[in-house]
Amino acid sequence: MEINAREKEDIVIFDIEGEIRRSDISDITLHQLVKNQLDSGKRNILLNFQNVEFIDSFGVGEILASYISTNNLGGKMKIAKISKKLYLVFQVTMLTKVLEIFDDEEVALDSFNKE
Amino acid sequence: MVKSRLYRILSRIIDIRPGEEIIASLLFLYFFFIMFPYYIIKPYRDAKYIIKEGSEYLPIAYLTTAIVVGIVVAFYSRLQARVPRRVLIILCLVFFMVTCLISQRLFVKEEKFIWMPLVFWVWANLFIVVLGTQFWILANDVFNPREAKRLIGFFGSGGLLGGIFGALLTGFLGRKDPDLLLLIAFGILILSIFVVNLIFIWQRRKGSPDDKAEKKDKEKGAEPAKVGFIDCFNTVRKNNYLTLLAVVVILTFVVATFIDYQSKTVIDIHEERMDEMTSLFGYFHAALLGLPFLISMFMTGGIIKRFGIRLTLLLFPLLLLLCAFGIGIWPVFGWALAIKTSDKSLSFSLNQFTRELLYIPISPELKYKAKVFIDMFLNRFAKGLGALILMIFLIPFFRDFTQPSVMQKAEVFDKPGVLETTDESQRIDELELVDKRIRRVRFASAFSVIFIFAWVFFNIKVSKEYTKIVKDKIKIKWDRADRMVAEKLDVDYTKLVFDTIESRNRSSILYAMHIFDLIKQDKLTPEVKKLISYKSDEVKASSLGGLFESGETALLPETDEIISEDVLGKEIGEIMSLDVYQEVMKSYVENALRDEGVESETARMEVAKAIGLMESESPLAEKLGELLWDASPEVSKYALESAAKLRKKEYVPALIKKLFNPITREDASVALEKYGDRVIGALSDYLSDRDEDIELRKGTASVLARIGTQDAGDCLMWELEEGKGEIDTELIDALDRIRSEKPGVQFREDIVETKILREIKKYCLTFIKHFGTKSKRKKAEMTKGLPEELNVSLMNVFKLFGFIYLREDIMRAYQNIQVGTKDSVDYAIELLDNTLKKEMREIVIPLMEDLALDERVKRCRNCLKDFSRPNRKNA
Repeated sequence: MEINAREKEDIVIFDIEGEIRRSDISDITLHQLVKNQLDSGKRNILLNFQNVEFIDSFGVGEILASYISTNNLGGKMKIAKISKKLYLVFQVTMLTKVLEIFDDEEVALDSFNKE
Repeated sequence: MVKSRLYRILSRIIDIRPGEEIIASLLFLYFFFIMFPYYIIKPYRDAKYIIKEGSEYLPIAYLTTAIVVGIVVAFYSRLQARVPRRVLIILCLVFFMVTCLISQRLFVKEEKFIWMPLVFWVWANLFIVVLGTQFWILANDVFNPREAKRLIGFFGSGGLLGGIFGALLTGFLGRKDPDLLLLIAFGILILSIFVVNLIFIWQRRKGSPDDKAEKKDKEKGAEPAKVGFIDCFNTVRKNNYLTLLAVVVILTFVVATFIDYQSKTVIDIHEERMDEMTSLFGYFHAALLGLPFLISMFMTGGIIKRFGIRLTLLLFPLLLLLCAFGIGIWPVFGWALAIKTSDKSLSFSLNQFTRELLYIPISPELKYKAKVFIDMFLNRFAKGLGALILMIFLIPFFRDFTQPSVMQKAEVFDKPGVLETTDESQRIDELELVDKRIRRVRFASAFSVIFIFAWVFFNIKVSKEYTKIVKDKIKIKWDRADRMVAEKLDVDYTKLVFDTIESRNRSSILYAMHIFDLIKQDKLTPEVKKLISYKSDEVKASSLGGLFESGETALLPETDEIISEDVLGKEIGEIMSLDVYQEVMKSYVENALRDEGVESETARMEVAKAIGLMESESPLAEKLGELLWDASPEVSKYALESAAKLRKKEYVPALIKKLFNPITREDASVALEKYGDRVIGALSDYLSDRDEDIELRKGTASVLARIGTQDAGDCLMWELEEGKGEIDTELIDALDRIRSEKPGVQFREDIVETKILREIKKYCLTFIKHFGTKSKRKKAEMTKGLPEELNVSLMNVFKLFGFIYLREDIMRAYQNIQVGTKDSVDYAIELLDNTLKKEMREIVIPLMEDLALDERVKRCRNCLKDFSRPNRKNA
């Protein structure tokens, strides 16, 4: 798994590539990356899932932990460009009740500004 | 912001912020120009009435006023709904100017108009009721509670200063040319029109909410709502807070009527001549207003700030209670002066201003209706009620009272009005009259005491309700997400579904075990349930294969029967508990464990998962210890999951050690959480071990938060007290999570308070370190917000407050201070002001206020100085 961070209008976007699973973590976890951004004062996080093929329970834990850390500080964490297959799993497991998921990155970015 | 000269002058005497100086000064002048003429009119009214009618007839004047004001309120409330506020105020000012002039002419020929004293009495009351209410409504709209608390003393003192000037002028002219007084009042009212216009121009420039609402209504072409007396009454009746306010006002004015009656009766004993009485009332009012002016200008803000609204509301009635006892026991001029001085000095400053603050958090729509009803009608009605009580109880009773003592008579004889009489029979009549009046004063005192007790009670109630209203003005912006996630989501189920899907491609055994877990936990979606209930062929076509768009199918054993969850669980359990199964599987497990390579990873995962399905005492369960230390995170994950199911004591050290690794931390936390209270001792050991890795210690704090029992809370609190502070943020967050999920868990107040002080000290030191220099760059950084370490420190302070106060209130205040608008920041601080204990309030609130950087640095320095005081050494 590879994660690259970029910034747009005070929103940190993480472009994730590959699978978020425990066996694929070599260096730093997604949650740790999010926490680093929060420690530097950032409060709006967008996870770009365009190139995410699959996630396991560890991945779910990482996403939820990132979401909790961000929201506990009054920030927002959202997800964009998730695959249909993964979105279906998110729906079945009701993750969509908690996480805000957008088809389009621009729409997701706009949603931060609207709040 | 550029600081004007006016600001620089005013900031020397009052706590004012740049941008507030113009409106505060205009309101000061507005009130000045209303109260100046009123304090000419008032002594003139009192003297005219008492000389012409006598103090015995005061209750009639009070009662008539109440009735007339009631009628006027009905008319005024309708007018208020139809006429723009600016026009209405000016119309009223013009009306009182014209009628003032007419009154002056009629008094010149007063022999013809014997009813004039009573009419003038009522008119003068209408004057202050209408113009006073209009002033306070306007002032209420301009400021929020924090601004008003700082500035109300100042612009309120404008009215008192006007009163002093008016009363002094009356004192001076009262002896020479009393009829000139009303002409002067007329002239001053002209100036007030000019000031009112300036205030509305200022409001329009600032775009006041009222102005915007008015514009919107105009755009919509909305008809004004029909607002009448009944509507105003219903508004107050239906709102608990407004009802309490109304009761407080009634009690305030009933008591004021008693006091007014008592003091005027004593003065009536002293002075008989009209010109002297006008002059005496004039000087008396001037003297009485001098004190409240000083109190308002220099003390009101400080008193409200120091004691808060609740205690400030009690100061006035308690002082009157003392005086009422005094005058009841010894009804002489000295006590009359004391009670009237207390009444005037505090009712026009602290009491009225604090009462006005109570209106500020109410929505404008409710406020206009409530103020018209309460301030215009109810206070006069209360005076009438007071008068009625006096009339009903005093007049029939005074005949039955015993004669005054010799000493009292001697005191009465010392009075000038009595000594000057030469005729003996008239002298006896005078004496009897004086005796009757003294008895009435005493009786009125008894009533005052009873009503003051009720007043104190309702003041306490209304101040409590005020805090609720302030709280409702600001919204919770976010809640702890862990609580929200736990409420909305079954995280275990979610993870299980993902693991089931993941295992499908890896191993049919793992997949089957996951399905079995889903069955056991009864957490199946209809699709998955379908999968395990029908023949595999049908499943292939309809269920998971299609659902997850995979070419592969579920590798479930085929069966023609619907599988019962209970039967399946029982059967698997029976097989796994068989000795022969344990024996046969032993070698398989040993082989799998022996080979630590990637190839056998799946086999180890299967074994780790399978052990979780066995009894904790089964021989194979012993192998789990080894699997917990497996290098593969996948194997480790299943081992942790099984450990959580078996909950054997010997696994605990391994589970805790797994908290160190971010990959296994979450699974280890879940496993340890399942142990519950049993594992707190072990977690506590790691938590307090300074030699242990800091990430692991933070992890143990998080697990204790998940366990969330009183013991877990105590353990975290103990570490917070004893620790060196390196993991304080994590400890505080863990305790906050417990507080948020289990409000019943209690924390030791002394430890929390000490920690709050330490955290505030840290905040101040960090703030000074960042912004204490004169560097422009540092100051520029401030505009981007506080550095993160300051944010963390501030958040810790508030979380700690949440341990000893209602967490919801504290979080509401914190969130609005952090990300709210100027008004919501002020309301948040107001909420804290009414929630925190005095010593905490004094430290925290100055640091929270939205001030210039230099001022904030100064306040941090002052705070640190305060910490060096002996009683704060523990910080």
